[in-house]
Amino acid sequence: MKQKHLTIIAKKEFKGLFNERTILLAVLLQLFIAMFSSFLMVGLTSMYDPSSLSKYSHTHYSIGYAGNDSQILTYLESSRDFRVFRMDLSTAVAALEQRKLAAVIYVPDTRPADTDPVKITVYTLQNDLQTAVVSVKLKDVFLKYEQDLRTIRADRLNEQIILLEIPKASGGGDFYEFVYGLLIPLLVFMPAIIASALIIDLITEEYQHETLETLISTPVTFNEMVWGKVLCCEILVPIQAGAWLILLMANGIAIQNAGLILIQVMVSSLILILLGTLTALHYRERTAAQFIFSTALVVVILVALALPANPLNLLTRLAVGTAAGEQWIVLGFTLCIVFVLGLLTHWYAGRIGRSHHTG
Amino acid sequence: MSTYTDIATIARWEVKRSFSMMSRDVLPIAIILLILLVLATGFTAQTGLHIQDRMYTVGVDDPDVAQLIAGDARFSVYLLDPATLRSNPQVFDLIIVGGRVSGSGTDRAKAAQKTLERDYAKYVNSVYNTEQDLFAAYPLWIDSQEIKAELDFFATQSGQYVGASSRYVAPVPDGDVKNVPTPSSTLSITEEELRQGLVQSNARNTQISRYTEALSSAPTTAMGNFKTPAQISPPLPFDSIILVFVFIFPLYFTSQFFMMSIMNERIERKGEILLSTPVRSSSIILGKALPYLLGMFAICAGLILYIQASPIILLPLIPVIFFFLANALLIGMLARSFKELSFLSIFFSTIATSYLFFPSIFANVHVISFISPLTLIVLTIQGSAWTVTDYLYSTSLFWLTGIVIFYIAAKNFKDERLFSEKRLLSRVREFLSEILSEKHPLISLFLLSAFSIPFIFMVQMMCLVLFFNLPMPYSLVLLLLFAALIEEIAKGVGIYTLYARDPGFLSWKMLILASIATAAGFLVGEKLLLFVTLAQISDSIFGSILFLSLGSLWLPFLLHCACVLIVASCLKLWGKKGFVPGLVIAMVVHCLYNLYFVMRWIG
Repeated sequence: MKQKHLTIIAKKEFKGLFNERTILLAVLLQLFIAMFSSFLMVGLTSMYDPSSLSKYSHTHYSIGYAGNDSQILTYLESSRDFRVFRMDLSTAVAALEQRKLAAVIYVPDTRPADTDPVKITVYTLQNDLQTAVVSVKLKDVFLKYEQDLRTIRADRLNEQIILLEIPKASGGGDFYEFVYGLLIPLLVFMPAIIASALIIDLITEEYQHETLETLISTPVTFNEMVWGKVLCCEILVPIQAGAWLILLMANGIAIQNAGLILIQVMVSSLILILLGTLTALHYRERTAAQFIFSTALVVVILVALALPANPLNLLTRLAVGTAAGEQWIVLGFTLCIVFVLGLLTHWYAGRIGRSHHTG
Repeated sequence: MSTYTDIATIARWEVKRSFSMMSRDVLPIAIILLILLVLATGFTAQTGLHIQDRMYTVGVDDPDVAQLIAGDARFSVYLLDPATLRSNPQVFDLIIVGGRVSGSGTDRAKAAQKTLERDYAKYVNSVYNTEQDLFAAYPLWIDSQEIKAELDFFATQSGQYVGASSRYVAPVPDGDVKNVPTPSSTLSITEEELRQGLVQSNARNTQISRYTEALSSAPTTAMGNFKTPAQISPPLPFDSIILVFVFIFPLYFTSQFFMMSIMNERIERKGEILLSTPVRSSSIILGKALPYLLGMFAICAGLILYIQASPIILLPLIPVIFFFLANALLIGMLARSFKELSFLSIFFSTIATSYLFFPSIFANVHVISFISPLTLIVLTIQGSAWTVTDYLYSTSLFWLTGIVIFYIAAKNFKDERLFSEKRLLSRVREFLSEILSEKHPLISLFLLSAFSIPFIFMVQMMCLVLFFNLPMPYSLVLLLLFAALIEEIAKGVGIYTLYARDPGFLSWKMLILASIATAAGFLVGEKLLLFVTLAQISDSIFGSILFLSLGSLWLPFLLHCACVLIVASCLKLWGKKGFVPGLVIAMVVHCLYNLYFVMRWIG
């Protein structure tokens, strides 16, 4: 294998990619996914935990209160979120239907120390975003009341509980797990998946467009052609992944061990690329190769995710900075797989190449 | 009659062809892989996903606490003596000494604390669930009753306050007051049934729910409407949504095959034989699409039988299948190489998934979710009903765009388009040019801009979903800009295509006539579609930006005319280079017009 030939092939493929500007589509796509998933996360969180957005904290929600007096009424009245009106149940529900109230609460005459539970009925509007916000606010009040009731009925409890005193959360940390535990591994690993789909296209194209014979009649051997294409795809991975890391860091997301992350991604993406190469060499036809490969890819990724200390987990831990020495073990292990697959590809491509020259 | 036999013949060929391709040891390996897939899914479901393992470090002095925390794989737990822990607080995210938790103050520590809080609440619940006296452990139960209000989109945006007009006097409802029965003070379910429900909801600790539990705990069915206060949360139909993916993924795969089959006809001009037969191109397309269409139906029907869901689910799936096939056809005809095909199809499927998937998350929360047909599926699985209007509302865009794309593809299914090697964008322009008649350009422009409406609505809906999550002023501003830009692009494309085909076409007289034709087509299409489907959204403030103009007709007509005129004049004056600046100017004009009306409308 000559290095010069490898780079010639890789250059040719790069030229093709940039000419078609398809690579732009890929980048756009990743941007879109990132945007959508973060919008979704931010949107959902602000909906389910309205206190995380300060603008909701000054709103007063009108609540209709019906039934008997209880501690709840005091809690509601002292809360800054609500404006409570004592009303007749039917009137209150009618007002709710006309959106003049945000919710209606009915409290029965069950006494706190009774054996029966206290059953509070809450009327809210169906399919309404405001309902979501109000119920979260009401939940706080109910939790406080539940704690009161539990204390009153404490002598009837007999299980032992390990007590933990957790200080009140000081805000922040809402998106941490999402960003580091899902978004970063996903974004950084996506170039690997794209690259492995690309290698199939590059190889089957030579077969189906019947350009293979011309290519092999040049001094470039079949083996060099295959490895040149692998090289092209592999180079794309750290470029894309690196761009993502820089983009994330520019957005104020601190990522540790960026270099090590790139190395991990490059090695594990090589597994996927070589798998793609083998499939493409075997089928020589895009539909079949892509179909078999994408099914196999799902299997491989599912199994990998089920294993502890898998490459994706390692990406997360590298990014947050809790990866210990075992990252080198994982890296060594993935390198072994790459080596075996590499030998297999080399042997297989060599065999095909010989059959082309003789036949 | 012969058209039907043509289609049937071509469909038969297509099936034969794909089977001959499949015979090359694809089928056995595919079967092996499918078995492996099932096994792998089972394996992963059992062991869980291990992406977030050992993200956090905790130092603990009590073995019991250590055991409790170690149950969550996200923590690395270190059991040390209290003195060591106190002297090295920065080594760990959290340290727990004598039952007191303290964090190191970093973001990671804050996230760790939140996770610990949730784990601990779960643990406490699991202990309470075993209490002899359940009503001492759970003394408070909430019975949530949902009331249906008249749909009022304006009121529901981002949880904005609506309520009593007066601050201190209880609101008085208009009209008659229906008598609401006083709720009974007892629960209608036995203590044991409630315990079952509690144990079940606590056991739902899969890794998937980890993402959702930050937001909500899924409601359990065994307990009916009753919830403990800790369980109150807006309903997130997560299980149903996962199920929806089960339906959508096979559709992607099948439409990939269709895409590839179209592409294969174009490689090395293989399709020339087919085109030289006296069969109409629309028959060829329909014939080739038929096996895939039936295949998709079969897959969906099989899945429905398997999960024993109501066959009504098929109804919202039909337009989705149709839409996928139409797009697969177009992508297969547009792509120049396999690389381009891959990227285009990945791009399309991601965008389509987002459009289908994200609104349906809000299925129980907001009417906006109805823009996705999947919401109907989620509702069906949940056992809620939907109406014919809902169906029209969420599927009409899919039907219309599907039909238009099929038409464009059928018109272009011929030698010079299929085997051309031009760039993607110029190919798109050629495709459009094909459906613009040379003899009656004005009528063509009128029709083109009328039929571009469903596409515009789709893109704008997408923006609406995307921006809906942003805080209020930003979402409005962005929507305003994008809505205007999208409309201007759609209106400008027809004239641009005509200009590119023949620059001499745009005389000043023709330019004005073309603008009027485009604007008129746009207006007619907009009105028609609006009245049929989108009355719900058009009542909201978002809707007022998207489709401002329900009131008077001549004002929006003038606006559309002026904007197209701007773009067309820029084209005439500066050639193709003038297109983008023209669009920008038109967008600004459009925005100003909208702003004026929105402001007045809000005020």
